[in-house]
Amino acid sequence: MLTQLLSPSTLVFIALGAIFAYSFYAVLVAGQLSLAQAGFAALAAFSAVVVAPKPADVGPWVTLAIALVVGMVVGAAAAFVLGLPTMRLRGVFLAIATLAFAEAVRILIINMEWTGGASGMRVPKILTPGVAWFLLALVAYWFWRQGPSRHGRALEAIREDELAARAMGIDVGRHRMLAFVTAGAVAGMYGVLWAYFVRLLAPEDFAFGTAIDGLVTAVAGGSTMFVGPLLGSAFLTLVPELQRSLGIEAGWVRPFLSSLLLLLVILFLPGGLASFIPRRTPKVTPPRDEADGIPARFERRQHPAAGETVIELAGLGKDYGGVHAVRDVTLTARSGEVLGLIGPNGAGKTTLVNIISGLIPSTTGTATVLGVQPGKTPVHKVAAAGVSRTFQHSKLFARLSVLDNVVVGAHLVSKPTLLRRLIWLPSARADERAALEHAMRCLERVGLADKARNQASALSYGDQRRLEIARALASDPSLLILDEPAAGMNHVEADSLSELIGSLAKEGLTILLIEHNVGMVMRTCDRVVVLNFGEVIAQGTPEEVAADPAVVEAYLGSADEEGAA
Amino acid sequence: MQQLLNGIFIGSIYALFAIGFTLVFGILDQLNLAHPAVFAVAAFVGIELVEVAGLSIWVALPIVLLVGALLGVLIEWVAFRPLRGRPDAHFAGLISSIALGGIFIALLQARYGPDTRRFPADSFPDERYTIAGAQVTLLQVAILVISIVLMVVLTLLVRRSRLGRGMRAIAENPTAATVLGINVSRIRTSTFALSSALGAVAGALFAMNVNSAQLGMGSAIELKGLAVIIVGGMGSLSGALVGGLALGLAEVFAVQYVGSSWRDMVAFGLLFLILLVRPQGLFGARRVREV
Amino acid sequence: MRKSLTTLALVSTAALALAACGGGTSEGDATASSSGGASSAAGGGGTGDDCTLSDPVKVGAALSLTGAAGSYGTSQKKGLELAAEDLKAKKGVTYDLKIEDDATDPKQGITVFEGFVDNGTNVIIGPTLSNTAFQAQPIAQEGKTPVLAISNTATGITAQGDYIFRDSLTEAQVIPQTIAKAKEKYSLKKVVVMYSQDDAFTKSGFEVIEGALKKEGVENAKTLSFSKADTDFRALLTEAKGLNPDAIVVSGLIEAAIPLVTQARELGITAPIIGGNGFNNPRLMKDAGAAAEGVVVGAAWNSASSNEENTKFMADFKAKNGAGPDQFAAQAYTGMLLIDHAVRAKCSAERDDIKAGLGAIKDLKTPLGTISINKDRDAEHDAVVQVVKDGAFTVLK
Repeated sequence: MLTQLLSPSTLVFIALGAIFAYSFYAVLVAGQLSLAQAGFAALAAFSAVVVAPKPADVGPWVTLAIALVVGMVVGAAAAFVLGLPTMRLRGVFLAIATLAFAEAVRILIINMEWTGGASGMRVPKILTPGVAWFLLALVAYWFWRQGPSRHGRALEAIREDELAARAMGIDVGRHRMLAFVTAGAVAGMYGVLWAYFVRLLAPEDFAFGTAIDGLVTAVAGGSTMFVGPLLGSAFLTLVPELQRSLGIEAGWVRPFLSSLLLLLVILFLPGGLASFIPRRTPKVTPPRDEADGIPARFERRQHPAAGETVIELAGLGKDYGGVHAVRDVTLTARSGEVLGLIGPNGAGKTTLVNIISGLIPSTTGTATVLGVQPGKTPVHKVAAAGVSRTFQHSKLFARLSVLDNVVVGAHLVSKPTLLRRLIWLPSARADERAALEHAMRCLERVGLADKARNQASALSYGDQRRLEIARALASDPSLLILDEPAAGMNHVEADSLSELIGSLAKEGLTILLIEHNVGMVMRTCDRVVVLNFGEVIAQGTPEEVAADPAVVEAYLGSADEEGAA
Repeated sequence: MQQLLNGIFIGSIYALFAIGFTLVFGILDQLNLAHPAVFAVAAFVGIELVEVAGLSIWVALPIVLLVGALLGVLIEWVAFRPLRGRPDAHFAGLISSIALGGIFIALLQARYGPDTRRFPADSFPDERYTIAGAQVTLLQVAILVISIVLMVVLTLLVRRSRLGRGMRAIAENPTAATVLGINVSRIRTSTFALSSALGAVAGALFAMNVNSAQLGMGSAIELKGLAVIIVGGMGSLSGALVGGLALGLAEVFAVQYVGSSWRDMVAFGLLFLILLVRPQGLFGARRVREV
Repeated sequence: MRKSLTTLALVSTAALALAACGGGTSEGDATASSSGGASSAAGGGGTGDDCTLSDPVKVGAALSLTGAAGSYGTSQKKGLELAAEDLKAKKGVTYDLKIEDDATDPKQGITVFEGFVDNGTNVIIGPTLSNTAFQAQPIAQEGKTPVLAISNTATGITAQGDYIFRDSLTEAQVIPQTIAKAKEKYSLKKVVVMYSQDDAFTKSGFEVIEGALKKEGVENAKTLSFSKADTDFRALLTEAKGLNPDAIVVSGLIEAAIPLVTQARELGITAPIIGGNGFNNPRLMKDAGAAAEGVVVGAAWNSASSNEENTKFMADFKAKNGAGPDQFAAQAYTGMLLIDHAVRAKCSAERDDIKAGLGAIKDLKTPLGTISINKDRDAEHDAVVQVVKDGAFTVLK
């Protein structure tokens, strides 16, 4: 029965289905719900068939090779063209826009003369199961090598939390586009192979249903592990054939069972079919003793000299249509100092810090941080200038391991490894190992080294805060912004955090600390800035600020308002 | 003039269908792809009620509404509730609703066979009117009126009623809503029930409009429904109405001036235009990013 | 996690097991005999009606029972099943008819054909759609298994190879005479043409219509295209009405025909509507009611034909299925008759003998009329131009 089940064409369809699913996987890995792959495949297939020579003239393999090149280029180009205008779209919006694109392509093809319209084009059959599986192996190989590479981790980070990824220096736009283009090329491969197998290339085979099938295959197989698409395709291709061999009556029963099985897989297997395969966590070797944190293999980042101005804000303001979150703030911070930022809730501290780190633009005034203007510079470039931060509400990469979270943090200092991984260059392995060791060192500094393999979302609240700090440290920043890092920490933990901050400052790091734990601020900071209602009401050493009557009033209210004593 | 009316009638059905989508998306942030299947089921059930049970179409419609509501509850319970809290809830919800939709269609085929079904010959009133030179049937007018009434009722429900307030609260912040004692589960179920009820009526009306129900009718309208909610604005009820009418009219005039083979492109052209120029749609609200 | 996996495994197994048990008659098991092309056939004696074969002849049908073409495939299935029953009454040869679903999916169509070729099926029928045919039939050709197409009307089907035959007349064989007759009867000078452009069958029909109109010297005032999933034609019909045509010529499937005709009359269009093979379905009258009156349908099968084979077929079909047959059923039924004739000709179920037998068919009486298979392996018989009168198809005089 097995041989009957795995006839030559079934084998080819499993391979083709898997390749098509990989084109979805390529974007799902980055959390992008793009469904245009059927359109890319259609464009690629028709172009390739028209441009490529006939097998009768040059033989099947030359034809297929040329067709594949043409198809993949067309697919990638189409993806690029679609990727540009849809750059800002996310989630369901992106899904619908890309679906609409795929449908539009289909209608276009039906209306064109050269494609044969609805009747399609006759194409000689030259694809064999061996070639199909060989190409599938190549595609799977690519994604296997991509997973643990710097690029792969960046994509996963984007999927988990796009904003945090940006703050770690990842150019989200570029990575998204790369994922798109990869998807386009793989979809193009699928289109070409399909055309040269089924003998008739018809637009109806690239319709809405096909687009959805590809997505279903990718998700059912599992979009977090590289074997997912293969499993998904095997499952979906074999279910009808299995039903046929079991003698299940031809008719409504089969689609019913197929849909039911799919529903069960989605409901009970959150990671798709790939969750049956245990995920191998990489062995983490204890770090060798390196001088001061950054592995010798990586380039050192330029840090400002001690005392140089790191932050310069002049008349900075931010208002949201009448609500002045930040008002006329002027302050400076010098390299090597620990600057505390305190104030009652709603004072505008986080807004100010968001402006400094480039997340939101200011409405008035100027800001210069480490030589760049954060309001006018993309977030990842601000990070590249040396800014790193934690967030008020933890923005961890939930489904990545603790260690991987920190490795993503090291994005800016580590080297790209994908291309070298493809050809197994030992230098790639060395770079990878160096990145992992560097990350371990950061974890040790915050005391999380023993939890390296845990999933980030499984950590306790306090540990999550520490993980954020480790991640922020990994990029070897010049300016470290900590947004309420001690929230939820007890006395002991807050003290060790204090010590950590102190030791970082001694190493030359500039630290901007927002905190409510006033005792900790007084102990740790060189200078303190107090905000209230978006304005600076006091600046100076901790002692000066503590004694300032305006500050006391802001926190406790003035004596007059307390009513008659 | 005839074309104008054609556009309005088909547009009102697009709008009614799209409202179901946008209701669930706007409030629960989920795209329910079993909605087109509900559309088809309702059409077939409506026909059966008229043909077999001998009811008049006006009596059958409220029953279809209830059937739709029940299907909505089923969809929420089977395809979405088990996924709550999962990190991949969005993708998984898409797929599970697709699968459930497939189950519905397969069951439809089991009961009714693969053929197109129609209302019995004398189900519809025969009156025709002439408005400014254009022919209009009573049925078409009724469809338009019913669509508008349902949409108005829905809007009032969302704005004024307790259920509506709860729905809007959940749309803003589900966690806060729970903390405040709002029964989120019940409201989720009600939202799905409402959405599917409207989709069901849309299906029955559509089948009446063209006097046919096919297994594939849901897929045919699905993509257009999605285009409408993008154009009108995700989560905006008036947007769905305006978007639906706009699409209906645009299609009709495209046929006249551009050529019928490109008619379906109109939906996508509008869609792309809106996405590029005004991504939140005509009436949608821009979601503020949370840091 | 383990609990959900176990649940999943149990539920899936249970579901499959239940379905397999309750799956009803699956027309016999596909016993895997020798792989490759050899088919079983114990020879018997005699030819024609005297032929006897000890082993049943394996006939495999690949039809679209679900999916977009589901209604056509189901119709074909009924035709084949009726034929199989009727052939049982003829002694000597038994048929093992296995009907498979391709779900209107080329992947399944290809796999089903491969399965038939590999498991020793003697002759294959189908698939339902022309596009699937181009994708699947070459497999039978390569496997030297004869295929009888019963609903493919595209150009080039039989040109795929000498093992491929068909009993369905092409549009090119049917439409020109329809246009000629209509022109004569209704004095056509100017028409509007409507067709669904995203279906290969209706598109090729349109191309033939264009050619025929040109040949007859009838002006095509405008071509309006729609999608095969469309059911609201009011915008297009309004456009057509404005052009004041003498007739509206439509290349569409029955799903479109019914609402189109109904809405046309609703909008006050009185010009005759002329349709092709897709309109040749009793549901046209049943569901469009009075609007169907006067619709001209040029088709391969004349349901009003009073020939003996046809009347018996129609009566038997109605008795068995509760409603009259359509063209799909008629062509499917006839297909089995052709196969039976071919088998009995040399009294052999060998694939090459069936191939030879099919090619030699001459003047065989069937519900489609007196049919011959020409040297291009296409069917030849008289087509008909019908008009709907008093709720039934009658020949247009």
